[in-house]
Order: sequence, then C-alpha cells, then structure tokens
Amino acid sequence: MKGSQVGLVGRRVCSGLWARHWTHVLTAGTMAIALFVFGALMLAQENLQSLLTGWGDQIQINTYLDKGLGAGEVSLLRDKIQSFPEVERVRHISREQAWKDFRVALGAHSNVLEGLPEDVLPASFEIFVKPAYRDGPIVEALANRLRKEKGLATVEYPQEWVDRLSLLVLALQWAKWVLGGILFIAVFFIVRSTVGLAILAQKDEIEVMQLVGATEELIQAPFVVEGLIQGFIGAGLSVLGLWFLVLFLRDQTLTSIGLFGSLGQLQFIDWRSIALILALGSLLGASGSVFSLRRFMKRWKG
Amino acid sequence: MIQFLHVSKIYAPNTVALKDINLQIAEGELVFLAGPSGAGKTTLLKLLFREEEPSNGQIIIHGKDVTKLNSRGVARLRQKMGLVFQEFKFLPHMTALDNVALAALVTGVPRQESYTKAYQLLRDLGLREKYDAKPPALSGGEQQRVAIARALMNDPMVVLADEPTGNLDANLADETMLLFGKIRERGTTIIIASHNLDLSQRYGTRVISLQEGCLVDDLSPLKEGGSR
Repeated sequence: MKGSQVGLVGRRVCSGLWARHWTHVLTAGTMAIALFVFGALMLAQENLQSLLTGWGDQIQINTYLDKGLGAGEVSLLRDKIQSFPEVERVRHISREQAWKDFRVALGAHSNVLEGLPEDVLPASFEIFVKPAYRDGPIVEALANRLRKEKGLATVEYPQEWVDRLSLLVLALQWAKWVLGGILFIAVFFIVRSTVGLAILAQKDEIEVMQLVGATEELIQAPFVVEGLIQGFIGAGLSVLGLWFLVLFLRDQTLTSIGLFGSLGQLQFIDWRSIALILALGSLLGASGSVFSLRRFMKRWKG
Repeated sequence: MIQFLHVSKIYAPNTVALKDINLQIAEGELVFLAGPSGAGKTTLLKLLFREEEPSNGQIIIHGKDVTKLNSRGVARLRQKMGLVFQEFKFLPHMTALDNVALAALVTGVPRQESYTKAYQLLRDLGLREKYDAKPPALSGGEQQRVAIARALMNDPMVVLADEPTGNLDANLADETMLLFGKIRERGTTIIIASHNLDLSQRYGTRVISLQEGCLVDDLSPLKEGGSR
C-alpha cells in the first residue's frame, strides 16, 4: 500500500470512528466485559498458582501437640524430630504464641476473638524440611513417620493442600478457556453484526470506491483497523477493570485474615497475560470485521 | 481496441439482457449505444467495467480478456477507465475536489499531486469557484462536470458514460457533449449509452443500436453503406 493509500485508510478510519462512536463504544464495552471475565479467571488462576508455589517452596509440616504434654516431653519430642535427616529445623509454637500470632493475623478483626479462652489453640511444631528433601513423596513419608510418634495429635503438610488446590487451578484454567471461549464467540458475532451495520451504512461509499478502482484491500482495511482499535480499547478497559478489582480486593477481608497476607499481596496479572488479553481483544475485533466484510463483499462483488 | 466476441448476458432465471454481441470499437472512437430502456445498453457498459460478468463470450480491452480478471485485475481495469453515471455516484459528505481527487488517491498517487490535478481539472471544466462545494449544493450541470473531472483523473484509455445527459437541459447536454468531444481529441475512447439519438446525429458519431439485447444496427458516418 502506498503512502497516499495509507493516508486514505487513516482518514476513513478516523471518520468511521467519529461517525459511529456510540456503536464503537458499545461494542468495545461488550468486549471489555467478556475480556474482564476471562481476565478475572486468569487473575484467580495466577494468584492461586503463586500461592501454591509459595506453599510448595516452603514445604513445612505442622504438627499439633497432645494437650497433656509437659515441657520436658515437648523438648524431648522436638529433639527427636530435629534428629530426622530430612528435617532442617523445628520451631515450637506454644499455645500463648499461637494465640498471639492468630490475633496479629486477624488485625483489625481480632475483636472477634473476644470472650474466647486464650488456650483454645493447640501448641504445635513447625517442621522445616531441608531443600534436598522438598519432594512430594519424601515429605509424605516423613509426615507418615511423624503420625506414628506419640504426643503428636495431628500432622499436616501443605503439599496435601497443594495437590488438592492444584485441581482447583486446573479447573480455573479450563473454566477460563471454556467460559472465555463462549464469551468470545458471542462477542465475535456482536462485532460481526456491528461491522455489518457499518458496512451497510457505507454501502454507497464502498460502491463509489469500487467504481473508481479501489482494491478490495483498500476498501476493507479501514473496517479491519476500526475493529482492531475497538478490540484493543475493549481489552484495555478490561485490564483497567481488573486493576481496580485487585485494588478493591487488596483492601478486603482476604488480606486481613492473612490468606494472602502471609504469602505476599494479591498479585496483578503479569505482562504476558496483559499482552494476551490485548492481543485477544484486537484479534476478536479484527476477525469480526474480516468475516463480516467477506460476507458483504461477496454479496456486492463487482 | 475493444472487442466483444459472442457476448451474451442472461440474468436468472431466463432474462436475456444481451444476446451474442459481436463488435469492435477502435481506439479514440466516440460511440453512442442507442436503444430503448431495457435494450441492454447499461448491461453492455457494466460488462466493460466488470460490474457484471458475461454468461458467454469474451470481452477484450487492449488485448486483455476482462472476463478472466480477478478482483485486483478488476480494480486495475477500472483505474484505467473513467466512469460517468446518470446519477453521478458521488460521496455527498465530501467536497467536489475530494470526490475528484479520490479517483487518484485510490491508485496511490500522492495526495498533493492528486489534489493539484483535481483542482486543475475542475478549473478547466469551469468549476474554479465550486471546488469546495459538496455535490448536493451543485446544479445538475455542475455535478455532471464534476463527474467528468473524476472520470478524467487517471488519464483513462476509455470513458464510459451511462445517460450522461439524461438529467440535463438541452444547453447543458450540448455543453457536456462538447466536453466529450474534447476528451476524444486526446485519443480517449468514449462510449456513451443514451436514448437521445438527437445528440448522436448532431455530433455525427457512430451509433450502435440495441434492441431486446440484440445488436440491430451499427451505423458509422465513416462506414460504407451506413444509412447516414
């Protein structure tokens, strides 16, 4: 395409965007909603994934102690566990300490604990596994060995949760593409219809351009560029919406009860995901235009 | 040279618009296509600029069979043609100058060059004061001249005009015909579809008569045995 033709396309794009700005706003808004849903699922998936990675990296086993254990027994048990080759260190958390930690984790909401006895939480050991042994089956074997120890009421390790929550991540990943796919198909048809209306509105202009010798590419390019811009703006709006969602959620209870607080803040989607949303939006807009054009141009072929 | 070789056009289901047309038009000729409404004049023009495809036969323009062109080829063919329609076919929101320049812009001629030439053509056609007006604000004769200016933008080898004087009074029709005469002097082939035989007789041009899709007469002032 030559310079003057590019200029012609540019001018037609600007006049098209201006002439049908409400149609473009509505279509971009629809795309933004669809991409927002897709992005929100992506956001949930990424955060859950990083949460699991954080837990998995720590590979820490929690053991809750029997209530009747004396200080000497606790010390002996601690030394025994410390002697296991897989164990890096053992941290004893007394009932008082557990209560304090829980109050701190609840932050502004700690008043919900008013009236509860301070020894309601059990004492526990936090067992840190040496990096060389941070592997699912090894940790599981260690946990099973610990379960046989007298004085330990419960043994929990995050890998169990990691495994269970991994399924949730997988479900989110599928939901993202299935739900996203359905929404994208709906948006595709909406874009196709709006571009179809725009083409019909410009039928005379297209006819004149055909008659003076404009190539199909030159006639179609402005519609494709308009669709692309529309999709990009819709995607940009959805990213902006996600950003506000993250800001909103960071202020909410999830953070205050420490679910994410202990493992870092709720994270915004990374630049690759942003690029994916922007690319998907642009592609949706452009492809909707292309398919609509193909349908109409075939009908009007000179 | 334009050649029609056994060209027929049948619209579905059985409407015959043109039937086995054979004719030749030399370079630089001014030809009238005559005949009543529905005779096939417009269809013949549409076949020439490939708005329609023939059902049978070949149409050769300057050695190229236009029936075999792809969409890009059709665009290139139209870039070498000037088209003038009875209903003008302008973009009403654009000025006369924009409408004329558009014909060159779509071919990739730089903007400055396109607009300079468009202005010159409008000036030559007596529209120096009206170049900035939008088509609906122009009179029928002025619009006709804008259409002719647009048709001449790309120095066409052929100008096709469908009832170019249909909306004009006698004086403006004469003026338009004089313009076509001037364009012909440049060596451009001009084919005019018109039911106004009076004009063709007055300007002594070749007249190809069509009736119900058939070529019934081909009268040339130069042709031996012609009735003129």
